[in-house]
Amino acid sequence: MTRRERSELIDGLIDGALPESDFLRIEAELSVNPAARREYYDRLALGAMLEAEARTFGPALIDRSASSFWRKTRWIAAGMAAAAALSLATLGGYLSKSTEAPIVASAVEQNARGFGLLVGESDTIWSHAEAMRVGALLPAGPLRLDSGIAQIELFSGVSLVVEGAAEFEIVSPMQMIVSSGRIRARVPEAAHGFQLQSPDGQVVDLGTEFAVNVADGRSEVHVFDGEVEWHPQNAAMHHLGQGQALSWDESSTLIDRPADEQGFIGVDEFTARLVQDRTSRREHWLQFSARLQHDPRLVAYYRMAAPQQWSRRLDNRATSEVVGEGAVVGAAPASDRWGNAAQALDFSPTGSRVRVVVPGEYRSLTLMTWVKINSLDRWYNSLFLTDGHELHEPHWQIMDDGRMFFSVKKREGVDRTKGERDKHIYFSPPFWHQSLSGQWLMLATVYDVDQRRVTHYLNGAPLSRETMPEDYVVENVNIGAASIGNWDLPIREDPHFAVRNLNGSMDEFALFSAPLTDEEIAEIYAHGKP
Amino acid sequence: MNAREHESKIVESLTAIQLPLRIYIQSLLPGDSAAADVAQHANALIWKKRETFEIGTNFKAWAFAIARYEVLNYRKRQARDSMLVFSDELEETMADELAGHSDTIEHRHEVLKHCLEKLRPADRELLLHRYATAGTLQDYATRNGRSVGGLKVTLFRLRSALLLCINKGLSEQAEVSL
Repeated sequence: MTRRERSELIDGLIDGALPESDFLRIEAELSVNPAARREYYDRLALGAMLEAEARTFGPALIDRSASSFWRKTRWIAAGMAAAAALSLATLGGYLSKSTEAPIVASAVEQNARGFGLLVGESDTIWSHAEAMRVGALLPAGPLRLDSGIAQIELFSGVSLVVEGAAEFEIVSPMQMIVSSGRIRARVPEAAHGFQLQSPDGQVVDLGTEFAVNVADGRSEVHVFDGEVEWHPQNAAMHHLGQGQALSWDESSTLIDRPADEQGFIGVDEFTARLVQDRTSRREHWLQFSARLQHDPRLVAYYRMAAPQQWSRRLDNRATSEVVGEGAVVGAAPASDRWGNAAQALDFSPTGSRVRVVVPGEYRSLTLMTWVKINSLDRWYNSLFLTDGHELHEPHWQIMDDGRMFFSVKKREGVDRTKGERDKHIYFSPPFWHQSLSGQWLMLATVYDVDQRRVTHYLNGAPLSRETMPEDYVVENVNIGAASIGNWDLPIREDPHFAVRNLNGSMDEFALFSAPLTDEEIAEIYAHGKP
Repeated sequence: MNAREHESKIVESLTAIQLPLRIYIQSLLPGDSAAADVAQHANALIWKKRETFEIGTNFKAWAFAIARYEVLNYRKRQARDSMLVFSDELEETMADELAGHSDTIEHRHEVLKHCLEKLRPADRELLLHRYATAGTLQDYATRNGRSVGGLKVTLFRLRSALLLCINKGLSEQAEVSL
């Protein structure tokens, strides 16, 4: 292979335009030749750097008409257009490859981009279709917080407290645009140089805690600690030190004033407020759940506060007393959805489960749980499975591609080779993606024989609803011995099939002997969300 | 070291490896425009696992291992597309080499800026336009009314010229700093 040939193949490889035969040739060359690998790395690095350059300067090239405007407002326009171009790029790239459930999956995928995480929120209302929850990556592009308070951590280490109503955009871990609203920023040493662009100027941080209040296109800048540079438009740059603030007066002159530290909620104050909020929300749920315990339809209700080592028992809190206690096997203590230690169980140690025995026959069922999933790395990931897989028994689990799975076995002795099936499986569309890793979710499934339908729910809202095929309706569901978070009897040798423990935590599990309505599920979620 | 110091150390390290991380992920997914998404997921995962990192050990190697996991995850989701994948041996070699590679990327980036200025304006615009635009080369060619073959040749020529210029610039810089 000549140098030139090698370079062309590597170039084509990176462009993604290589036929398989060429791919194999260059792979062989890369495997044996360190110089070829070096060139591969160099060309990859060049591509990455050109992408970064294009992000800064490219958008103006895409839309020539914008270029005079672009020169005036510099990186605001560049940043916005770059963000738009990027989101189109990634979305386009995803959609062209997506093979299933594009609507659900692309919504999840869209969420999973950004430069920071939402780490705390209090009564937030965002003007976006999908709610943003704590722990989520902030999506790229302009964001609007209609009301409430959000705490955001950028990957650069910058902490932001945003008070609604506010319109802003995180352009990169080191840059943000604020069109309106009150924002307080704490910038660690590693993120010095953090830039905040407002309609009438730009704040460049020099290691500090500062705040801006942007209203009607005008900015006030307050410095609580350290120092910032304030570059107002059409005016000279100002250095602002600790305790200083600048705002515009009516005749558009900048006036000095003392910084108003009380006027902006800070990170520590907000954290304290969050803890308080969480505590009160938990109290609220405990009160609601105390009423729920008396619901005559409730068969089993376990709160998974890690039991004492010596007992390893979970009380069934349902007052109907049909079902006994749960026995904890293996599972380790974990924090619950409000962040309280040892109030949940982590099922990720292999073999973890809670063993229960549910006597009796049931016509319809509602299964409900709060889970935090680390990853779906098994083929089947257990929520609630009866031992073995006997006639009329339900299985509730999550597939590795993020679909919820519910089935009740209808018949024995089917001949699979003739296409016969022993049960109908009710799948939801994929609802889980790695971007939801570590977030608490409420899952529920309602098996409603009278209405002949099965509904899956995520966070109080229906995910999917399916009519029961007449041939597969089971009117007398048995449960008997069962496991929460695992499957008891791996009959097959294949560990891919047999290992089913949930890689995640649960803090509650409930089983009702009746179909709950959409409204009831929504109500349980509304009272129980952390 | 307290939690806050640990945190800021991680932030610092994570910021420093953004470009190498991107390059590593792209090396495993050549020609795949989803590499940026995978990198973003990897970032989130690294951030989430930050407490498990032991300060003093090799952050880059640790982060790359998480990134590799994210790449495998991505491939699993894409399993239905026929995707050309390097052998495990080659992927491991590249991981080792890229994790051990000392960081000259900032220098490179500076030099690249000078080199870009040396290009003819039309060439520079073409290059940046291409990198600012989504989609495959084929899409790009169709949209801009050019032939894929011609575009490929031009881009190859420009990239090769830039590489040459960067390497020359780097060696000159090295001489100056001696």
